[in-house]
Amino acid sequence: MISRTTPDTKDILRVDDVSKHFGGLIAVDHLSFEVRESEILGIIGPNGAGKSTVLGVISGFYPATRGRVFFEGRDITGLKSHQIVQLGIGRQFQSSTLFMSLSVLDNVFYGFHLSYRTAVWKRLLRWPSALREERELKARGEEILRRMGLEPVKNEITKNLPHGHQRILGVCIALATNPKLLLLDEPMTGMNQTEIATMLDLVRGIRDSGMTIAMIEHNMTAVMNLCDRIVVIDHGQKIAEGLPKEIQDNEQVIEAYLGKDELLLDG
Amino acid sequence: MKNLLLGHRRLIGFIVLAVFFALVPLWVDSPYYIDLLIVLMINAVLAMTFVMLLRTGLISLCVAAFWGIGAYSSAVLSLKAGLSFWACLPLSTIITAVAALIIGYVIIRNAGFTFVIMTTVLAMLFVTVVGNIQWLGAYNGISNIPAPDPIDLGALGSIVFDSKVDFFYLGLILFVIVILVINAFYASWAGRAWNAIGLNPRLAQSMGVNVFRYRLMSFVVGCAIAGLMGSFYAHYQTFIIPTAFNLFPKTIYIQVFAVLGGVGYATLGPIVGAGLLSLFNELFSGFEEYSIIIVGVLVLVVVVFLPRGLLSLGEIPARIRDWRSRPGGGGGSSTKVAREPDTPPGEAAGSGSP
Repeated sequence: MISRTTPDTKDILRVDDVSKHFGGLIAVDHLSFEVRESEILGIIGPNGAGKSTVLGVISGFYPATRGRVFFEGRDITGLKSHQIVQLGIGRQFQSSTLFMSLSVLDNVFYGFHLSYRTAVWKRLLRWPSALREERELKARGEEILRRMGLEPVKNEITKNLPHGHQRILGVCIALATNPKLLLLDEPMTGMNQTEIATMLDLVRGIRDSGMTIAMIEHNMTAVMNLCDRIVVIDHGQKIAEGLPKEIQDNEQVIEAYLGKDELLLDG
Repeated sequence: MKNLLLGHRRLIGFIVLAVFFALVPLWVDSPYYIDLLIVLMINAVLAMTFVMLLRTGLISLCVAAFWGIGAYSSAVLSLKAGLSFWACLPLSTIITAVAALIIGYVIIRNAGFTFVIMTTVLAMLFVTVVGNIQWLGAYNGISNIPAPDPIDLGALGSIVFDSKVDFFYLGLILFVIVILVINAFYASWAGRAWNAIGLNPRLAQSMGVNVFRYRLMSFVVGCAIAGLMGSFYAHYQTFIIPTAFNLFPKTIYIQVFAVLGGVGYATLGPIVGAGLLSLFNELFSGFEEYSIIIVGVLVLVVVVFLPRGLLSLGEIPARIRDWRSRPGGGGGSSTKVAREPDTPPGEAAGSGSP
């Protein structure tokens, strides 16, 4: 894989000296990195390194204790999560956070919340423009499901889906918010080889459609295959950053992993 | 397409029900039963507003208090300010909505358990405060609230509100309008945002839903509807007392109506629940003290064996079909991605339970 990132590529997101403390626990400690436009950035690190917390801070679920986050040059520190989605940062959750009792299509349909333009009272009166808008969004939802290979199961109740499909649906919902930057939190956890291969293709497809992706992932083979650049976090601090090749040979990274869990590097 | 048909089926069902209701006075001439039906409609609407808030994950125990705010503001406007019922009805709805906006703005920030306690306190506060204001008649309440002014239809004569049947039709019109408005809200993106918040607030937030604002919106809409019914109630009863709007038994019963019918059925559930309990109270009208025990047992049985309410009985055939079709082929769901052997058992078996 040839890296798409050149030194002069624009930064879409910049995390600047961010710390996050939970009481006495320091989850993220003076962390700085940036995500470059239309790259796939991998964020890796041993369990409990603070990776998910970083995504939480970026997407506004946790307020940062210290430091700033910039998105497209704009300071988004302290904004609420629903405002950050509006600016164009979509996120998928680590566990299967879905509307389990709704159909697959409805899950995506609900994700279009920000796309609605017509007023509620027009919907109350069944105004043609409001109904048309709804039809269009439904079609867009089906389009997303088609792209992600979930169209055959669009009318299934979400809780009946196999785990792999549920993870993909999480990504579909994030896509419905029409993001410029997509944050993925361990999209391949608990998947078998076939499912991982599917997911790799899908994530590449999303990037090729012009989106930037920052993802946390434990599966090393997948990360090394997919990511243009990698940031390694341990104990809330950045211990390495670079191309997959550089990371693989980085002694500090190997130490951080082997010191804790030898098996992880085997993928 | 399927949704469209379903929507039509529901609409047809609704029209049939409304017409059936409208024809009731033709063969029921006892004012007692007409009164029961009017109270049933009020109760059902109050339970609908409770369900509306429940959809966004808020358990409100002050439904009756806002119903009371509507009733009291309407009574005051008509008796102290001399306004006609036709002005009082919209004005008291607006007053209730404004009160809900102010109160909701303060208490909705702490959703969850705090909200339940806050609304409980509010419900009790309403009775105590109103009961101690002489200007509002204290615990004796307000009486002699005038009936609506006659509607002049020119050559056709006029509609005079002097019998229960006239109030029944007025109530029915309000009832139909409220149900249409509530259902339209649920069908709009606002209703979907409410639903999303109730199902999973974190996921809703990640979709860009402003959780606080939409909760506040459902609170204001729900309370305004309760206020509208309060105004109607005050002018129908002609007298109101503060204890009628208390937490117990009023709000508790409102919840029972909603739970009996099934909180998943936003409008039909409360109607069925309120109707069933009215029927029960009729059957056991001779021995009041036992009827409350029987109601209690009935609620327990429904909650334990039909947690999604009596109306979920209607879904059993579809569920059996669903369950039968699944072992043979899984509905073609796992075509591209192989089924994960270690799917969490809770998720997989969830739909098989009653």
